[in-house]
Amino acid sequence: MSTAPPPDAPAGIAAEPARVEEPPFRVPRDRADLHVFLQAALTLEHLTIPPYLTAMYTLRPGTNRPAFYAIRAVVLEEMLHMTLVANLLNAVGGTPLVARSRFVTGYPALLPYSRDKVPVALRHFGTDALDTFLSIERPEYVAEPPGHPSVAGDTGWTSIGQFYNTIRAGLVRLTAELGEAGLFNGDRRRQAGPEDFYNSGGEVFPVTGLASALTALRVITEQGEGVSHSVFDSDDLLFGEAREPAHYFRFNEIRRRRAYGPHDTPASGPTGPAIEVSWEDAYAIDPAAKVADYPPGSAVRRAAEHFNEAYARLLCLLERAYTRDPAALHAAVPAMLRLRELSVQLYRNPHPDPARRARGLHASATYEITEELLGRVRRSLR
Amino acid sequence: MSPAPRHGRARYDVIVVGAGLSGSLVAKELGDKGWRVLVLEAGTGTLGSWPGHLGALDTYYAALAKVPNSPYRPNAAAPSPDVLDLTGLPSGGYRSHGYFLQQGPLPYGSDYLRAGGGTVLHWLGLTPRMHPEDFRTRRTYGYGRDWPIGYDDLEPHYRAAERALGVAGDAAEQADAIGLPFPDGYVYPMRAIPRSYVDDVFASRLDGAAVRETPGAPATTLRVVGVPHARNGTPDPRYDGGRGYRPVGAAGLPNYGERCVGNASCVPICPVQAKYTPLKTQASWDRRRVRLLTQAVVSRVLADGTGRALGVEYLEYEDPAAPAPTTRTAEADIVVLAAHAIENARLLLVSGLGNHSDQVGRNLMDHPVLLGWGLLDHPVGPFRGPASTAGLECFRTGPARRSRSPFRIEISNWGWSWPEGSPGSDVARLLGMGADPAQPRGKGLFGPRLRAALGREIGRQVSVQFLMEQEAEERNRVTVDRRRPDRLGIPRPVLTYDLSDRVKSGMAAAKAVSDQIFRLLDAEDRTAYGPGPLSPGWFRFEGRDFTFNGAGHGGGTHVMGDAPGTSVVDSWQRCWDHPNLYAVGCGSMPSMGTSNPSLTMAALALRSSERIHRDLTAAHRPAAVGPQEGRP
Repeated sequence: MSTAPPPDAPAGIAAEPARVEEPPFRVPRDRADLHVFLQAALTLEHLTIPPYLTAMYTLRPGTNRPAFYAIRAVVLEEMLHMTLVANLLNAVGGTPLVARSRFVTGYPALLPYSRDKVPVALRHFGTDALDTFLSIERPEYVAEPPGHPSVAGDTGWTSIGQFYNTIRAGLVRLTAELGEAGLFNGDRRRQAGPEDFYNSGGEVFPVTGLASALTALRVITEQGEGVSHSVFDSDDLLFGEAREPAHYFRFNEIRRRRAYGPHDTPASGPTGPAIEVSWEDAYAIDPAAKVADYPPGSAVRRAAEHFNEAYARLLCLLERAYTRDPAALHAAVPAMLRLRELSVQLYRNPHPDPARRARGLHASATYEITEELLGRVRRSLR
Repeated sequence: MSPAPRHGRARYDVIVVGAGLSGSLVAKELGDKGWRVLVLEAGTGTLGSWPGHLGALDTYYAALAKVPNSPYRPNAAAPSPDVLDLTGLPSGGYRSHGYFLQQGPLPYGSDYLRAGGGTVLHWLGLTPRMHPEDFRTRRTYGYGRDWPIGYDDLEPHYRAAERALGVAGDAAEQADAIGLPFPDGYVYPMRAIPRSYVDDVFASRLDGAAVRETPGAPATTLRVVGVPHARNGTPDPRYDGGRGYRPVGAAGLPNYGERCVGNASCVPICPVQAKYTPLKTQASWDRRRVRLLTQAVVSRVLADGTGRALGVEYLEYEDPAAPAPTTRTAEADIVVLAAHAIENARLLLVSGLGNHSDQVGRNLMDHPVLLGWGLLDHPVGPFRGPASTAGLECFRTGPARRSRSPFRIEISNWGWSWPEGSPGSDVARLLGMGADPAQPRGKGLFGPRLRAALGREIGRQVSVQFLMEQEAEERNRVTVDRRRPDRLGIPRPVLTYDLSDRVKSGMAAAKAVSDQIFRLLDAEDRTAYGPGPLSPGWFRFEGRDFTFNGAGHGGGTHVMGDAPGTSVVDSWQRCWDHPNLYAVGCGSMPSMGTSNPSLTMAALALRSSERIHRDLTAAHRPAAVGPQEGRP
């Protein structure tokens, strides 16, 4: 795929990017192995959310509306993917873990399952951020799973698509070995359904067997990369909803400031109507910002800490929904509204550090989620 | 002058006048059945697009007075009445200076919206069914007009309307608390919208308490009851025999549309489109069958000498600010007027049709609303969630109906927004600004002290709304005045409106109940009625002051009945005088009970769609030619 502009060398990040733990390069062998893979998929789906939220929350309020709604739709679909992966993990008797400090990688992080070294950082809305998003969602030649005759030896993971293909192969193999009822032996009461979550494209559905498990994987890959070498996702085919450009192409529309038309292909690029994008109408931020950068006791420090607390609270609510009561997803909605309010309070402040302020940088949320913070929030939720 | 139109250029199976709630539903039903439908909308179609929706939000946020029509742009070709058109005079009486010409003793205090999507764009979204007794008040209680059909006839259409609008509610509670009959096991498409904290506080202090309208009257036991909404909430997997329900998202932006998240601006606009609007129905029209023509003001219904409607004449314009109309005609087998009760009456009167009974334009009804407001003893978090999520249903019917109007009590979640214009008016007052901008400002509060004072006061605001039933009266009417045309030359509506002593007695009873509610709540009652610029609906009755407001529920103006001599339409909303001319909407209702009428209007529209489909099918069926089989 070469529709994206060549990724520029990332600027302004000095620290060594964090590495996300990847499962071994092989098809999952048994149930425990499958749990490891699905937990890794959950972590992967979440990995994109803080960078996407950062781009969305750095938009100056009221500006860049097309970009706002595009990013918002993608974020919600990533949350849908998380919930579908959690359903899948629950269906095969696993336990989704999200309120863990290891679940939230430090940023910048290296994009996992990728041949290329793509750093994923918390960047403000702009061309750098969008180029990163395009790298994350880029549809590629989907490599066959490990062990396939076409894969020469131990090449290591080369793409996210290959990682999901591997999970798919493992599910099919383990269903054959253990029987469908044997593999999908999880507690049905943990399955979230459409009554617990809906928004944007797609729909949550319970995973109860191989067919629904494979559909869940299909939603996850096709909403991101599109279906059958087209620009569009499969929401129309799977859910009877409006067909929309897949995530990669929605981001590319913003990046190119032009919409895809009905006859456009991945190769043609977008040739539809112009989209209003104003790169200047975003709060520039320091992608390596940490709470410790803000003076203790300052209003900005407090706002950044509140944001991290609110994010930790969201993770605790999600863990409750995924491990105990799917209806707890309802509480995630006000938790997200709280994040929106806190982001408005935080990002509009010039950076407290005079040097960074002079470069036009603003304060930002850091997504530093520690065990200590999670413990404190968890106790407050009881 | 426009050139003479060519023959047969614009012929349809059905012409629908108005793209609001009724018109959108009729067009949806008939288009889905394969009929060619032309929908003529007087206003613009701007609001159906996502940029149009965002523009309306911006207009609303910038508006100084957040009235129901505030998000929607004025249109000189299709002007809308506005609640700001009325001003009260210092010692009583009112002045009307808008689209309506008002000449009654009291003002008709409601507005509507002439734009694609219609008035339901700014509705609150409550969808209570009417009480079975509301359909037969004359037989049962000796007043008003009876419907030619009853609750049981309408029940399946209520269910169809609850599906079409996407209703969230608790059917078991509605059946238990109000006595509404539902089929066994019926559940609404979505689970009830949760009660607010305000509702819970009311319930904790009112449930089980007894109140009396007068010292000697029988006691009525209070109970806080949730209300059904056409608002996206949590789908009920039990709905439709276990098939569940998929909420309908926003119009104009694919796959968007949240559940209600408490933005608290349902009236006039839900930013996330959790609330139903007809634009959602329009988004599902089969556009190969249904053609929407906006900026097309119908000026006349055309009929032949036998009384058959031929079609309509309409005025097409481009610029809503400076309309220069072109006259066109369109023809159809059936014409459906769905332009709002007052606009339907105006159109029939201007066309000189349907009025053999002399009832067109008469029986104008609304739900006159009496407000009560006070301060609770602790913060209750108003301005969260829909304007009302629960009410007191115990005064909707019963023997007291023989002598006074019944009422439904809505518990408001929006503090004093309706009675006092909160929170804007609170800010102005604390800043030292008086009601008269010409007077110098007093000393105001600023900064943290202002914020603290606002939080202290606004957080404790509560109010209740008494929706009074108003019975059909021939003297309450819409006429037209050819000497007072609108910009396109169509006569404007002239309204004559008043409240009967039955309604006023109901208000006196409501006020007595209000007093007891505030005592039971242990709240500081701040209710006060008096004449003034903001009280055009002020009057005195039996030595006491009252002020009422309109609810935006106009109806009755092409009243339904069982005989052509005394009513305008039959039970199918078909004009007695014109077999292929329908007038649909609240205008057909002989009585409105105490229920917000949109759900009932939708049920009627769906019922009429079935009849129109049968009429069209019959009109296309050839007569048998030649000897009939089986006959000699």
